[in-house]
Amino acid sequence: MKKYSREWSVAAAFGLLMLSLLIVAPHFFHWQPLLSRVTSQMPAMVVALGVALVIISRQIDISIGAQFSMCAVIAGLVAASGLPLGVAILAAIACGALMGALNGLLVAYLGLPSIVVTLATMVTWQEALRLWQQGRLLNLPEGIQWFGQSQAQGQAIVIGATALLLILLSWLMKNIAAGRAIYAVGSDAEAARLAGINPQRTTFGVFVSMGVLAALAAVMNLVQSPQIQPSCGDGMELKAIAAAVVGGIAIRGGRGTLWGVLPGLLLLANVNPALTHFHQPPYWEKAIQGLVIILAVVADGWNQKKQSKNG
Amino acid sequence: MKTIPRVLPLFLTCIAAVSMVGCKSQTSSGGGEKLTIGLLPKSKGNQYFVTCEKGARLAAADLGAELLFDGPTNTDPAKQNEIVENWISLGVDVIAAACENKDGISTALKKAQQAGIKVVTYDADAQPDARSFFVNQATEQGIGDQLMDTAAALTGGEGEFAIITATLTAANTNEWIKYIKERQAAKYPNMKLVEVKPCDDQKDKAQQETTNLLSAYPNLKAVIAVCSPGVPGAAEAVKQAGKAGQVKVLGLGLPSENKAYVKEGVTQAVVLWKVEDLGYLTVQVAAAVAQGKLQAGATEFDAGKLGKLEIQGDNVLLGKPFVFTKENIDQFDF
Repeated sequence: MKKYSREWSVAAAFGLLMLSLLIVAPHFFHWQPLLSRVTSQMPAMVVALGVALVIISRQIDISIGAQFSMCAVIAGLVAASGLPLGVAILAAIACGALMGALNGLLVAYLGLPSIVVTLATMVTWQEALRLWQQGRLLNLPEGIQWFGQSQAQGQAIVIGATALLLILLSWLMKNIAAGRAIYAVGSDAEAARLAGINPQRTTFGVFVSMGVLAALAAVMNLVQSPQIQPSCGDGMELKAIAAAVVGGIAIRGGRGTLWGVLPGLLLLANVNPALTHFHQPPYWEKAIQGLVIILAVVADGWNQKKQSKNG
Repeated sequence: MKTIPRVLPLFLTCIAAVSMVGCKSQTSSGGGEKLTIGLLPKSKGNQYFVTCEKGARLAAADLGAELLFDGPTNTDPAKQNEIVENWISLGVDVIAAACENKDGISTALKKAQQAGIKVVTYDADAQPDARSFFVNQATEQGIGDQLMDTAAALTGGEGEFAIITATLTAANTNEWIKYIKERQAAKYPNMKLVEVKPCDDQKDKAQQETTNLLSAYPNLKAVIAVCSPGVPGAAEAVKQAGKAGQVKVLGLGLPSENKAYVKEGVTQAVVLWKVEDLGYLTVQVAAAVAQGKLQAGATEFDAGKLGKLEIQGDNVLLGKPFVFTKENIDQFDF
């Protein structure tokens, strides 16, 4: 029970925010804007799940925003060329897996620090996109938005798919060897190796999964409007990493549950809508988000101290 | 074998020099002299500059001038300098440049001026001493006024409106917003600006901000986006909220990026200049400067089919921005 205290305290903070909105600005809960708001936060949720895996394995990936943009543009171009959406989705997944594999190769097998590797790949993908697409919006053909369904159905699919991913990944992390291997490698790679786990393969697998999740997130973003912006993933890395950290994923690896990412993301993502509904100027958004992250990190450090005293 | 590549450039330079002397003697012979104008875009593949070229060709045909249109394939300041250098050795009469990097290209343009070539700029200016005139597509006040007037026309001059901007610190958008506010205060007392929200130049964030604005301000009548990704972003939010037509969407952007929403009736107006006219005016100004017809201190310029246009200082003004609507947006493809 104690293990879940962080998730619960973040969820409580989120609940408090919602309660104050319910009292001050009940408009917030009108069905249609609420649905649009939640749907638009789902891609970041999927990316945050991926980065949670990466952080649990004691690595970091800051190229995820650039991967997200790249996958979105690839999927968009395939769709714009007239091929069916399914092909576009597969192309995005392949592209994400490849970019993840490149990170994985450099980090796991060449032993390079992940912050440097992913900084390099982030800049490379970002600038390549800028040169290639010149910052122009890419118009998508009809029948791509909402998977060719109605808006309500499309939103249901996006939210449903994200929920499914969350449930599935959480279950896998607990119940299959590869999932437990990620925790093991993240807490102590050497001990994991002695226990018969291949840390390199695990790390490589984590980065590939990250790429695939970035691709899925990009698709979920792609279907929400009839256009795609080549810089759509800019800043996504910060949002996702912050959500994971606030949600209780220990930045030093080995600890945290994917479930925690959900309240982490919801809390951070709703700071801005809440400010708008309280009729407050937008200047506060980043400051409040920063404060929440600092609180999370301080709580982390405090917990660790307590643990090392007890142990 | 080794001597050929060394001799070759020398040889070519000789030919170029000889042919240039030939050119010059031709142009200076008076009578049917033909102006050569070098028009430099930021990037020649970009639909915006391709449209510019269309207008420029029209003006060149009107004036009987020869137009060279060349630029980087993708925006690349170094390549722009290279093209200016080429035009200097080619001995064009006048260069009109849209500058990707203000400081970078100014050196090359000054070099052109020293070689006796006239220089004007358009779309994006160089340093003032590197050119004689800047063809200014729209002043900050012109844009602000036009956006506010259009918003007022769409809402009947009444009700709450919000602005989506790029960032709260961007200088140009802040200027536009300043003029929007001034115009509202002066002419539309029944309208009220409720919020200015930044979207970080991200379409998706503009959409989220607009979704929030729509539920936080149920009486909102219009959303003005002053950055180009903001217009389709705001439109998508209004559409998803089922408020198309009820909440007006307008802003500064490219017709091609907004066509679908404008035709659906979600976005009512896109404000920009007529890019073809910008190309036309640039060539007119370039030719007049080269022929000495347009000199510093002028306050008015006769721009052929565009009529008489105002000059402020050393800026030739294209005039009031153009409003793209359902009725006319199909005619534009940039």
